[in-house]
Amino acid sequence: MFVIREALIGLRRNGVTTFIAIGIMFFSLFLFGLFLVGTFNLFGVIQAAREKVEINAFLGRELTDEEREKLSSKIKAMVGVKSVEYVSKEKALEEFKIEMPNATTLLEAVKTNPLPPSFKIKLEDAFTTPDKVSEVSEKVGVFNGIETVEYGKSWINRLDHLVRILFLFDVLLGVVIGFSSVFVVANTIRLTVIARKQTIEVMKLVGASEHTIQAPFILAGLIEGGIAGAISAGLLYLIYMFVSRFFVHFYFPTNSIIIGMVVLGLILGYIGSKTSVKSMSMEVSFETPNF
Amino acid sequence: MVEIRNVKKSFRKDWYALNDISLSVDKGDFVFLTGPTGSGKSTLLRLIYMDIFPDAGEVAVAGFLSSTIKKHEIPLLRRRIGIIFQDFKLLRNKTVYENVAFALEVTGESGRKMKEKVMKALALVGLSHKRNEFPYKVSGGEQQKAAIARALVREPFILLADEPTGNIDPEGSMEIVRILQDINTSGTAILMATHDVELAKRVSNNIVNLEEGQMVEG
Repeated sequence: MFVIREALIGLRRNGVTTFIAIGIMFFSLFLFGLFLVGTFNLFGVIQAAREKVEINAFLGRELTDEEREKLSSKIKAMVGVKSVEYVSKEKALEEFKIEMPNATTLLEAVKTNPLPPSFKIKLEDAFTTPDKVSEVSEKVGVFNGIETVEYGKSWINRLDHLVRILFLFDVLLGVVIGFSSVFVVANTIRLTVIARKQTIEVMKLVGASEHTIQAPFILAGLIEGGIAGAISAGLLYLIYMFVSRFFVHFYFPTNSIIIGMVVLGLILGYIGSKTSVKSMSMEVSFETPNF
Repeated sequence: MVEIRNVKKSFRKDWYALNDISLSVDKGDFVFLTGPTGSGKSTLLRLIYMDIFPDAGEVAVAGFLSSTIKKHEIPLLRRRIGIIFQDFKLLRNKTVYENVAFALEVTGESGRKMKEKVMKALALVGLSHKRNEFPYKVSGGEQQKAAIARALVREPFILLADEPTGNIDPEGSMEIVRILQDINTSGTAILMATHDVELAKRVSNNIVNLEEGQMVEG
């Protein structure tokens, strides 16, 4: 009871500092939240690109159903292969027509269907790196009946390069935002603790245990952090509502963001208040100018 | 009760704030600690409530020894002694009543029993009628009375007073001293630091005079 009451009194009677602390915590959490949502969506885009990575294994001739099944299951059994799809000569032609509508005259000139049948092989996400794709391609190329194997080598290389740079930049940004948030929030909460230095002093004087001294401040820090987290989650959600009108695929895991922001706020509030009140409690001494 | 044995305390090199001090305060004693500013009075009191520790020698208070007391035991020691200061150290945002009650609340006391204790302490210093005032609304003397009530509410065996009349007019000072005498009569020991030797002489003949950290004949 005492702890709860003191925490609430502290928050109310130091209204301005409480307000500033919540404001700064909110801003830090909001920035971090923006970063998180940005990261989610960045990786969503990368994921979509990775799903486009495929190997085309062209066959020398049309296969019988039995041969096709056999080869298909062999490829499917390989490590890293997610799916195998057979593309017959006819289907290849249809796809070609859809993808290149302007080239139909060219095809008409040839009369016969020059496109070979093939297997379209999709890979597991972890196997979409240049090394792995080339490794799987080589293995597929060895199978009997397969003439050539193709994959967008330069495109995959570029994607891989981009992912690495983005990932590094993202981690760096996350670390910078994370650390500066903790630093700024700890210092802000320190202000609220300094404002109540006299209370700590009196508590020590009348024999309050260290736990009793710290608990109201930590509770106040948790309340401030929780409020700041909830507000930042709310604003992020509003931004999501706005942005999703223009980008249908905008990824926003609402529940995770709300819970995550509040939990991060609580953690920030706890760390900030705990460190501040602890150092302040150690500082308090009854030294008078004339000892 | 309070036993100080050959205590030395230094805050900077080649200079002792207290040098080889021995002193004991027993139940019912009223001891004055006199001496000019900087003579070591406050340092001696801080050693007793263990805000600081001696460089040499030993302080024993209510069974706690300065050499062996653990950090978590210091609050337990402070609950057994009352302390008042020149600047009262009252919380501005709490009423007189709340300030006194605060001393009990920090150890989990509440309810009617707590209220009774607070009212009794306030009655003892004659401040019951001002219990709902905020400290900045009452006089210096009354603020010190509130501080005394807070120090007494736990019924300590000793009351340490560090220049308790330093911020109060002569008339108010005498009233504070009278209250301290009343408290002393009921058995609580008083150790009061003051630079006012005349006041000390009027009240008690148990006077310890400090000069530059050493005990001298007053």
